Amino acid sequence: MQPLRIALAQLAPRLGVLEENLARHRELLAQARAAGAGLVVFPELGLTGYQLQDLAAEVAMRKDDPRLLGLASDTKGLSAVVSFVEEADDHRLFIAAALLEDGDVRFVHRKLFLPTYGLFDERRFFAAGDRLRTVDSRLGVKLGIAICEDFWHLGVPETLALDGAQLLINVSSSPGRDLAAIHEVGLGTAASWRTLMRTYAQLTTSFVIFCNRVGMDETISFWGGSEVIAPSGDAVFTAPLFDEGLYTVDIELGDVRRERIGLPLLRDERPELHLRELRRILAHRTGLEIDEASEPDEGGGTPPPAKRATGGREKRP
Amino acid sequence: MSAASGDGQGEPNQDADRLFELPPELAIDTEIARRVLVDFIRNQLRQAGFSRGLLGLSGGIDSALVAFLTAQAIGPKNLLCVLMPYRTSSPESVEHARLVVERLGCESDLVDISAMVDGYFGRDGNPGAGGEAVREAAPLRRGNLMARERMCVLYDRSVAWGGLVVGTGNKTESLIGYTTLFGDSACAFNPIGDLYKSQVRQVAAAIGVPEPIIRKAPSADLWPGQTDEVEAGFTYPELDRLLFWMIDKRRTDDELSAMGFPGPTVERVKRLVATSEFKRQVPPVAKLGPRTTGVDYLYPRRRPGSART
Repeated sequence: MQPLRIALAQLAPRLGVLEENLARHRELLAQARAAGAGLVVFPELGLTGYQLQDLAAEVAMRKDDPRLLGLASDTKGLSAVVSFVEEADDHRLFIAAALLEDGDVRFVHRKLFLPTYGLFDERRFFAAGDRLRTVDSRLGVKLGIAICEDFWHLGVPETLALDGAQLLINVSSSPGRDLAAIHEVGLGTAASWRTLMRTYAQLTTSFVIFCNRVGMDETISFWGGSEVIAPSGDAVFTAPLFDEGLYTVDIELGDVRRERIGLPLLRDERPELHLRELRRILAHRTGLEIDEASEPDEGGGTPPPAKRATGGREKRP
Repeated sequence: MSAASGDGQGEPNQDADRLFELPPELAIDTEIARRVLVDFIRNQLRQAGFSRGLLGLSGGIDSALVAFLTAQAIGPKNLLCVLMPYRTSSPESVEHARLVVERLGCESDLVDISAMVDGYFGRDGNPGAGGEAVREAAPLRRGNLMARERMCVLYDRSVAWGGLVVGTGNKTESLIGYTTLFGDSACAFNPIGDLYKSQVRQVAAAIGVPEPIIRKAPSADLWPGQTDEVEAGFTYPELDRLLFWMIDKRRTDDELSAMGFPGPTVERVKRLVATSEFKRQVPPVAKLGPRTTGVDYLYPRRRPGSART
């Protein structure tokens, strides 16, 4: 199998300057194409910058915006993941990542988890997405696309892998913080992300592709350090911290098969068990009565859980 | 002015731990800190449409470090260091400031603020513009006026120099309110406002700030013999550790006590932090209209069109 060349566009967008960022994306797409890349990944809100606040509405684009379609038209024979503020028909604003392929906007993922704590204030300015879907790509594999905080929730990479994704792509604007000498790379944020990505790649036996921006918005600096992690959990490539650049890395898609044959974790996943227990947990959290501590077919005296679950709609006191 | 080393680089000090006491939990990766801060300075200036900066160089470690960082960010020829002694300032302060200017090869200017300060408080028994009532003003009032006169000089020079005033206050002094509002805390942006004093020392040693400046006892030098640590009643390593665990790591009073911090010290520092909250925030505006700055009109400081053209 021909190796897939991935280009990680670790760029520093200009805050709120959409036209300039669009031009920069087109320039880097051309460079990536010239370098033989098949997949080009840009960071979260690479088209707009991150710390937008009330500027969000001013840089928002619908997914049929001519400017986005113009960018898509540069992707003949290429796959690219770009990120922008999406305005929906009902005028909600989303942090979105689009898969552009062969000249089209093929798919849009809306950020599911909007951090609104610490230095983050996303929920004030954006709506959260409701769908987590994989997408078939021209690369011959399914892609799972997620945005930054989405990957701080275990269920996201897991669901994407169960849905058939072999490449998990996370685009980020991760602010560097927690500067301390005790961390492996001198920056707490970078150390945490590295742990997560290696773990997800190994547990989902998929490639994890992480593209994080650099540069500064206002007072926060973004640390870059984009990576590609193999299904074995080993890093194939790590970009430098803070340096802007277009970094290319070759991967063997056949590594996914090899890893999954040798380590059939996905085969052994038990989503039905998850679903059953999640239903119970959800019922408990939302105040619906279910109390099953034992295995479903044990202790013949109690009614089967399915029946209890459907019948048990009474509110807890 | 010497051309000793015009690239803003000093010789990193290899035995930093011999120069000062560094609580281990406050140790940072100085190269990452340096990189982020240099980028920060460059970005803040560029985004505002400026290529030059200036700062008040006191001879102490904070402004020395900011001078080194700024020189690295924009080149020493784009940095103006203004030395602003008062007649009672320690001569050592000006000597140390000159050491920094020589090492960096940056521009410098000396403005003696004595006439400005004495013009208000009076001198040698003669009343100044402030009248009889202020002649015997407490050192605190005199110190505050000095800090504010320095601010006036810097903002005036900033016009002629065509640059922005770079702040030099550290996290420790900001948290306990050991600053003069609209005085030394006034600036366009502050690179070291999230570094505790112990961390300032660490970065200063790594970047090559001259050793005598790192070694000497920190002082606001507002009156002869004044030192921060005597005035505050605790040492910087003690205070930095306490603030770090209290604020950054959210430890409760009981937990702090179990870690060995004396109850009265914790109480006192908590009070200093709470009573100085106003110094760290922009003055509040009463909400009346549909959109109010700082409340529900929230734009990045640097947005398209915000730069000086």
